[in-house]
Amino acid sequence: MNATNRSSGARLPKLLLEIVMILLSILFLYPLFLALNNSLKSFGEVMTDVIALPKALAFENYSYVWSFINYPKLFLNNFIITGLGLAGIIFVSSIAAYKLARTRTRTSALLYLLCIMPMLIPFQSIMLTVLQLAKQLNLSESTWGLGLLYWGFGAPLAVFIYHGFVKGIPREIDESATIDGASGFRLFFSVIFPLLKSVTTTIIIIDVMWIWNDFLLPLLMVNGSPDTKTLTLAAYTFVGQYTSDWQYAMTAMVMAVLPSIIVFIFLQKYIVKGVVAGAVKG
Amino acid sequence: MFKSMGKTWRERLEFGLFTLPVLLCIAVAFYIPFVMTARYSMTKWNGIAQNPTFVGLDNFRQIFSGDANFAQASWFTVKYALLYIVIINVLAIGLAVILNMKLRSTSWLRAAFFIPYILSLVIVGFIWKFIFMQGFESLYESTGWPIFSMSWLGEPGLAFISILGVSIWQSVGFYMVIYIAGLQSIPDDLMEAATVDGAGPLRRFISITLPLLAPSITISVFMALTNSIKVFDVILSLTGGGPGGTTYSVAYDIYRDTFQNNLYGYGTAKALVLFVAVLVVTIIQLAVFKRREVEA
Repeated sequence: MNATNRSSGARLPKLLLEIVMILLSILFLYPLFLALNNSLKSFGEVMTDVIALPKALAFENYSYVWSFINYPKLFLNNFIITGLGLAGIIFVSSIAAYKLARTRTRTSALLYLLCIMPMLIPFQSIMLTVLQLAKQLNLSESTWGLGLLYWGFGAPLAVFIYHGFVKGIPREIDESATIDGASGFRLFFSVIFPLLKSVTTTIIIIDVMWIWNDFLLPLLMVNGSPDTKTLTLAAYTFVGQYTSDWQYAMTAMVMAVLPSIIVFIFLQKYIVKGVVAGAVKG
Repeated sequence: MFKSMGKTWRERLEFGLFTLPVLLCIAVAFYIPFVMTARYSMTKWNGIAQNPTFVGLDNFRQIFSGDANFAQASWFTVKYALLYIVIINVLAIGLAVILNMKLRSTSWLRAAFFIPYILSLVIVGFIWKFIFMQGFESLYESTGWPIFSMSWLGEPGLAFISILGVSIWQSVGFYMVIYIAGLQSIPDDLMEAATVDGAGPLRRFISITLPLLAPSITISVFMALTNSIKVFDVILSLTGGGPGGTTYSVAYDIYRDTFQNNLYGYGTAKALVLFVAVLVVTIIQLAVFKRREVEA
């Protein structure tokens, strides 16, 4: 009797809480909706009322911004930078972390420390000299050069995560593979690397979110020419040029964030899991 | 004997082949620029002159004795970091506890609160600038609430709150999912046992949930600290340091001196100060949490 009372008494507050939370989440996302809403309006409509829905969907905003900032080119730039950066981070970090975890010498311990210590250096502390070094190495003003630079910036965290994971893989696996005649890179890529799949996924998710959205490093490295800009940079420059044309500015914003949101909707489970795993290990 | 020597030689070669690439990349990204930073910090240079002039520790003396901008930016950053760490962790724990209660809409709610975290901070700043400047005007017209007629980006105190609020809005979902993961590792029978013993919801939260969340709190505070001490992007797009230069953070102040005022030597000296500050704070925090974990 008592128990039924309690459960029916608990049901109503729970329903109430649910309704409150749903309303809260809608309010939470309302700014994003307003951005989308106003990207589909004419200039006059934005100026008279931001909240009202558009009278007619102004898709011409999108075609205007699309060709003005050369969206396909920007998208390709983002893709090259993120893809090249990611491939390099995974390659150089996984082989190094594997070797460092398997070698028990003082040199190895020291090198591992050298690899992870840069996590303590804030980027703003070295941004000027990174830029100068990149200029000397002919890496600046180029999407490929920027992608290459990310190898070093992403490596400390990736080495750290891989190192911790490799320690949990029994050495017997290496030894039996050596008996079977595999060694060096072949041993690593055919036997060990497949075992690192889950942790590689984590690194991919953290690094894609970081490199795709990164702002300051691209601003310093590739902002000079419209051919090398990234999506975020183009949106940033665009707003600077069209300070009062909010409808175009919001269109540029929506176009810059849409790829991330679409990917998130499809890979939500993996992304949340990867972000948590990365934070807990990192 | 010859054979074993050959083997160590081979092992060394392999060790080098596996580790050299990453060391080279990290050297280019961090160590070489860091050494260059240390060198420039003791010079006066505008980037145009052929060679920097060596001035010893003059830059540091100036930073700590007569730089009102730096003092203001430091105060801004400390205030921002403290409030950010406290507010975001309290909100995230609250959200996590509610979303861990197995509501019917849990998966939607989690996604909704997480979405801003996947967006670039610069873009988030611009979207909110639009909301503050245009959206609030329309909201005031239709509701008449005075909160919407305040100058959220035009008054120093309010601009600070806006920056803080927008940063929290963008990243609260991230801390929330860390806490949800932490809550899910708390065994259900522990809660049931406490309920049987007559502990109410508040008592259960304080005596069971919070202590068992300690590892998640450590991680979250650590991440909130490292992120907030370097705050830059969101300020750049939301207020641009305004009104009247009151919302510059240390990172933004370094950016201003280096790239807008072309004070290369002076800017890098400030950058070095930021590095030391981050290092000290991190070491203190790691030490504090280590000690607490031992006690626990």
